[in-house]
Amino acid sequence: MKKNNPNRYVSGAVQTKRFGYGMITPTLIVMAIMTAYPLIFTVYYSFTDYNLLSVLKNPAKFIGFDNYVKLLSTPYFRNAIWNTVRFTLLAVVFEMLVGFIMAEFVHRLKRAQKIMRTLLLIPYLLPTVTVALIWRMMLSPNYGIINQFLEALHIPVYNWFSDIKTAFGMLVVIDIWQSAPFVFLLLYAALQAVPADQYEAAKLDGANYFQVLFYVTIPNIKDSLALCALLRTIDSFRLFDKVNLLTGGGPANSTSTITQYLYNTGIKVFDFGYASAGAIVMTLIVLILASIYIKRAMN
Amino acid sequence: MKKLLALVLALVMAFSVVACASQPANDSNEPKKMTIALRGGAYAEAIKSSLPAFEEANNVKIDVLELSEDDLHSSIALDATNAKGTYDFVMADASWMAEFANAGVLADLGALGYKFDEDIIPATTAACVFDGKTYLAPYYGNVTVLMYNKALVEAAGYKAEDIKSLDDMMKICKAAQEAGKKGFIYRGDTNNNLTVDFLSILASFGGWVVDENQKPTVNTPEFKEAVEFYLDLIATGDAEKKDDLIASVEGGAGTMGIGWPGWYKAEFTGSDYTAITGVAHDGGKAYNANVYGTWLIGVPANAPDKELSVKLLSHLMDKDVQKATIAVGGVPCRYSCLNDPEVLKDHPQFAVVCKALEGGVYRPIMKEWPQMYDIIGSELGNIINGIKTVDAGLADAQKALEDLIK
Repeated sequence: MKKNNPNRYVSGAVQTKRFGYGMITPTLIVMAIMTAYPLIFTVYYSFTDYNLLSVLKNPAKFIGFDNYVKLLSTPYFRNAIWNTVRFTLLAVVFEMLVGFIMAEFVHRLKRAQKIMRTLLLIPYLLPTVTVALIWRMMLSPNYGIINQFLEALHIPVYNWFSDIKTAFGMLVVIDIWQSAPFVFLLLYAALQAVPADQYEAAKLDGANYFQVLFYVTIPNIKDSLALCALLRTIDSFRLFDKVNLLTGGGPANSTSTITQYLYNTGIKVFDFGYASAGAIVMTLIVLILASIYIKRAMN
Repeated sequence: MKKLLALVLALVMAFSVVACASQPANDSNEPKKMTIALRGGAYAEAIKSSLPAFEEANNVKIDVLELSEDDLHSSIALDATNAKGTYDFVMADASWMAEFANAGVLADLGALGYKFDEDIIPATTAACVFDGKTYLAPYYGNVTVLMYNKALVEAAGYKAEDIKSLDDMMKICKAAQEAGKKGFIYRGDTNNNLTVDFLSILASFGGWVVDENQKPTVNTPEFKEAVEFYLDLIATGDAEKKDDLIASVEGGAGTMGIGWPGWYKAEFTGSDYTAITGVAHDGGKAYNANVYGTWLIGVPANAPDKELSVKLLSHLMDKDVQKATIAVGGVPCRYSCLNDPEVLKDHPQFAVVCKALEGGVYRPIMKEWPQMYDIIGSELGNIINGIKTVDAGLADAQKALEDLIK
């Protein structure tokens, strides 16, 4: 008769552990190469005067915190931070609101749900370059359909992307138009998972629409709402392509964002050391913002 | 069965390896490959039209990369960090000369046997030479000109040749504004565009962004006077992007704006362009005020085959080859092309371009120029949009530029 050997179980547990490590090792290696390595070098460069062209003749020098001091004392960078934060707050709030309304609307449709879902998703599926070109044509002061429509109604027209009063707002509007469908998609999926009996119970108790919304719907989808807010915050904070294509940061730097500023210093001037310091500051801000959501989600 | 299958697979693999290895590495008749990086648009079109003859004569196949200004700038710089470059030939803006020459990005064309001929407008070669060495050759004669709508200028009682000063421009734009049209259209979308748009006005007032010692001269009476004039001028019109500006002036919604010959298309009927006279007030002194935006051509220092590259450059700089590019929108920097009676029949505006190219002014050829235009454009934007007063904006710009150029 065989006896149970306890060592056999121990070695089994060790083997399981080893197997686990074996499975995550390739991922860790890829992450180390793709994420940790560039990040470490960005941190390193941020303490040097590395310039892509200057280093062809003279090696980069260690300059301590000079890049950070210069960066944070530059009014143009502070303005870029303020614009980015303002944009993120406005875009995320309105995208969440519009996305939720769209999700509620489609969720309550008795028919044509699939068609509506597809139609509403189209802006999100379009490449940003296409989105920028569509809006640029629609808002053109010469041949844009929006100005022509406003003129027909005798409403004052604007030079939307060149007027300091409207340029920033238009970027927010375009971002909402393109990204609200993403929020819609996630919240629509979450709404479908809300148990129907909770709605029925609320109905029997005589709850009105807002009571159902605040006591049944939102508590059930709050994790999805938090996830959407997190993803949209991170994405909005990285805003670059729309600004670059539509306003170039103008007029009067009113639409300049952190990424636009980094592009100007890093790509146009090749001042990689200085731009790296800006990238680190930006990463820290995103981490702080994201940590609020992540902490909440983990709780 | 398994063994047989393994044997077949092994044979197939071995056969594939032998088949691949036995292919000639490079057929001697196969054309040599060249890669060239150009500024997209009319500038690249002109060069592309001249390539087939060179390809045929030299058994070469040329891959053309058409890039935006910023992408071209960064692509050339990034490629310069490689021991052996990707690009055999590049197009470059004059304002990049200082940083590229300082970093040894471009090859000395003189050492490769290239020389300017006398037919090239001398002033256009100034930006091509750095520390006595020739790094670039002037290819596309871009220089700021005054684009105007013919009907609106006539309606104000003027002809193109009557626009002799900035005061005349102001009178025409105000007349158009009173008639319900937009007057002066400026490019206020990016700091670079705004700065370049303003430079011709600044130069007409005798001001400039740096002095002969390359020290900033933004907070000067001339600069202030130019900004105040510019504010009045742009108040007659609107800020628009390039395409909208062209559409406005051509279509008659706007009266005039600072433009480039490369924007002008043969099919335009409503608009034309003329040289900026460089005179601020009637009867005043005339300064060089047409700002060069010439596109230059050169060979990277790390080009794979520099001799072939300079051969291509010489081909593209040939006067007959350049003359042929006019049909596809080329604007050569050559007297023989711009003053040719046959050419002038179809392109009468080339007389204006020639005059502008002879007396143009370069943007500062300094490696800090991209940061400088960012600062100047930012502060001009602040002034235009009422965020700062003229005095405060110029003082801030001066300080920022002094901090930059220490």
